[in-house]
Amino acid sequence: MMNKERIGLYLHVPFCVQKCRYCDFCSFPAGEALRGDYVAALIREIKGAPEEKREVDSIFLGGGTPSLLSSEDFSHIFSALSEKYRIAPDAEITVEMNPGTVTEQKLHRLRSLGVNRVSMGLQSAQNGELSILGRIHTYEDFLGSLALVRVCGFENINVDLMYAIPSQTVESYRETLERVIALSPAHISAYSLILEEGTPFYRERESLALPTEEEEERMYLLTCELLKKAGYAHYEISNYAKEGAACRHNLRYWQGGDYLGFGLAAHSLYKGKRLAHTESLSRYLCDPLTYEIEEIRERADEAEEYIMLGLRTSQGISLGEYRARFGTDLLAQKREPIALFSSHGLLAIEGDRLFLTERGFFLSNTVLCELM
Amino acid sequence: MTEKQKHIRNFSIIAHIDHGKSTLADRLLEKTQTVASRDMESQILDNMELEKERGITIKARAVKLNYTAKNGESYEFNLIDTPGHVDFGYEVSRSLQACEGALLVVDATQGVEAQTLANAYLAIDNDLEILPVINKIDLASADVERTRSEIEDIIGIPAEDCPAISAKMGLNIEDVLERVVTEIPAPLGDPEAPLRCLIFDSHYDPYLGVVVYIRVVDGTVRAGDQIRLMSSGATFEVFEVGTLQPFGMQRSDSLSAGEVGYITASIKAVGDTRVGDTITTVLSGATEPLEGFREVHPMVYSGIYPADGARYGDLREALEKLQLNDASLVFEPETSVALGFGFRCGFLGLLHMEIIEERLEREFNLDLITTAPSVIYQVKLRGGETVMIDNPSKFPSPDAIDTAYEPIMKATIITPTGYVGGIMDLCQDRRGSFIDMKYIDTERVELHYELPLNEIIYDFFDALKSRSKGYASLDYELKDYQPSRLVKLDFLLNGELVDALSFIVFDERAYGRARKIAEKLKENIPRQLFEIPIQAAIGSKIIARETVKAMRKDVLAKCYGGDITRKKKLLEKQKEGKKKMRKLGSVEVTPEAFMAVLKLDDE
Repeated sequence: MMNKERIGLYLHVPFCVQKCRYCDFCSFPAGEALRGDYVAALIREIKGAPEEKREVDSIFLGGGTPSLLSSEDFSHIFSALSEKYRIAPDAEITVEMNPGTVTEQKLHRLRSLGVNRVSMGLQSAQNGELSILGRIHTYEDFLGSLALVRVCGFENINVDLMYAIPSQTVESYRETLERVIALSPAHISAYSLILEEGTPFYRERESLALPTEEEEERMYLLTCELLKKAGYAHYEISNYAKEGAACRHNLRYWQGGDYLGFGLAAHSLYKGKRLAHTESLSRYLCDPLTYEIEEIRERADEAEEYIMLGLRTSQGISLGEYRARFGTDLLAQKREPIALFSSHGLLAIEGDRLFLTERGFFLSNTVLCELM
Repeated sequence: MTEKQKHIRNFSIIAHIDHGKSTLADRLLEKTQTVASRDMESQILDNMELEKERGITIKARAVKLNYTAKNGESYEFNLIDTPGHVDFGYEVSRSLQACEGALLVVDATQGVEAQTLANAYLAIDNDLEILPVINKIDLASADVERTRSEIEDIIGIPAEDCPAISAKMGLNIEDVLERVVTEIPAPLGDPEAPLRCLIFDSHYDPYLGVVVYIRVVDGTVRAGDQIRLMSSGATFEVFEVGTLQPFGMQRSDSLSAGEVGYITASIKAVGDTRVGDTITTVLSGATEPLEGFREVHPMVYSGIYPADGARYGDLREALEKLQLNDASLVFEPETSVALGFGFRCGFLGLLHMEIIEERLEREFNLDLITTAPSVIYQVKLRGGETVMIDNPSKFPSPDAIDTAYEPIMKATIITPTGYVGGIMDLCQDRRGSFIDMKYIDTERVELHYELPLNEIIYDFFDALKSRSKGYASLDYELKDYQPSRLVKLDFLLNGELVDALSFIVFDERAYGRARKIAEKLKENIPRQLFEIPIQAAIGSKIIARETVKAMRKDVLAKCYGGDITRKKKLLEKQKEGKKKMRKLGSVEVTPEAFMAVLKLDDE
């Protein structure tokens, strides 16, 4: 269970070599000068952040492609962090990387700064699919980078996979899964592709050879099956981990723990408020200390989020805790939908816990719409 | 003829849609300074918001213009506006009856069209002097000479020296005004004779009650007169009389033979003042009413339901309010298993139906679910009794029917020659009987068909437009009821019959339609947790089937960097979408599904 006496930090690095065709997240290619300005703003934000007594037990550098930062950039950022915050000795410190963007020197620097977890964006072990996605690397690039990461002493490694890629078949995906399982990373994230508005994929959606909904479901169930067999626990909708390797930082999002987000478009949940930074680079660079959105969470919001986020995990939610925190009995309040979804095998109750089944995960929006 | 009558001209403007009727009306008002140009709100005669948007006139209105002619004398013009759509044919004819002449506006770039003809014939039937006006001469594609010869050849009225104008640019408007003086006859009628006024329109005013628009044909009417409506026999005391000004009503002492104006008499509902009825006095009144009155009956029926069942009362109030001004709208409560409580509403035609639906949604802020429109069928039962069926779900079972009859329309279609083949195919496909075909000139053809109204209301107009690139025009009127092999087609979702989807179809068409509609329904039923069979049936026989597959995936896989807000917004949006769905038994359906049966052209 989440330790609420500790907090997590997220740092956003919005740079990438080239934007992938499915990506609608805040990232873009950038030159050296901009990178320098951005890191300076990030450090200003860290230094100017409110005083915080609680210990930090997870740090996550996400992007974009954080591995595009230089060794010096990393050193500056981590020294600012350790001056400002009390970082727990066992803190989980993750940096996202893309194959082909890491060097031995940089990896050694990261090790020495305390980074102990690496998240590699592979997406597919099929080069044809990688090229359709607009990725800048091949599967062989990934193998090279992974070997390097391991040589440099990283053991806690996540590999990101994607399914429902245009042209992908259940068989080509099976091959991707088998290859990655053979590499035995501690953690695997497998996301189904979402066509987000504003992306090239979205504009071309009519002409993309997308798998059918039935095929997509088969890919999902195949993920569950093969990873389970290989010893990975399916602990969140899209996340699978070996014993003890669940991502502490991500769990914090689902379990309602506080986290502070630094950088462009970064989000925070901090002392009862949801905060978000601007997505405008120029505005962030001018004023990294002001949030664009500051929302005080109402009780009703908290209750809805408790359900929406909690049900993403295999543990689900505690009915007792829900009653204690929000004063209502969820089972009584949502008797009909809970009965309906249980009869369809999407929801289950065991003791105090209400949770989505494996099939339920893949239809979670339908369930959430009725429960929230 | 009195001196006063010699200086009155009563006329209408008639035209095919978009030929510039309203713009010409604007210019006439402006030129006679009835409305200062700075006050000129474009197209004053069309004073409903919806009319402006659609560019058509829905209800007739009238306005008085004062014009000093080149001969130095002052004239009173009464411009009576007419509705410009086939649904309102009877109302048009009554407006024309109030006039001595009509300006027939023809677009010089388009020439004579179906409604130009239909309106011209109505004017001829009413013995009006027709003054052709060729409009839009400012446009590069205008062909004035060709338009002139079309008017002469097709309609058969002289157009040799008729005004050629641009209403938009204000070109040659003076010419039109002078011709009104010289060519349109002054009204006849004896101001001393027993009173006879023609009702050509009315509207409801919350303070005055019904304001009745009249043309005095004989006699004189004053405030305080006891009057009688000759068709209903209802009597009232006249409260006020006056003339119609662009921005309201101008009270006067009396209205006498030849004049156009209004009366108020504490009349509570427009339904009491039927268009075409004759008003006379209770004492020494006229014995013979004016000719041409008939009751208007709805031609098209549709079920209207509030999307939110709790707003049934609001819907009833809204319909009642609209009915205050629209005696041709009829409605009565109806219950559907699928849709709950609503109303079966009768309309003059499809356009009238669309207008009412839009006004309900726009002016009364209602979300509606409407069922596919239906015509009225006559069914002679085995027992010998004849029933009128306005709701498909009430259509008797086949074994109870002796003979079923459906309304057949006389349809006129004018089209450029190049589209004749496609249009004849369409009419054939819609069970039309070919009557004849006339070449208007080398480029255009006038087609006459007899078509079942049942086919016209199923997307016929859109199909016609798409097969003629928008050039063909349509006009139709009821011919008679004819025996027909009709069956009721039912639809079942997940095994349950949905009454609101039933409709009547010609026997041989049942299979094709059933398949098509089942496909359309499939598009309008989102995937749900279980598989949903869609079945089309005649009686207990299933004739078409489709399946909505079970939903397999509905998940937000990724949650970037703790951005919970965005995820929540997506879910809220999904919830909103779900709220709009209509639950039929265990199946959720989009509200559009009930109209899906209408879209048939691509069959």
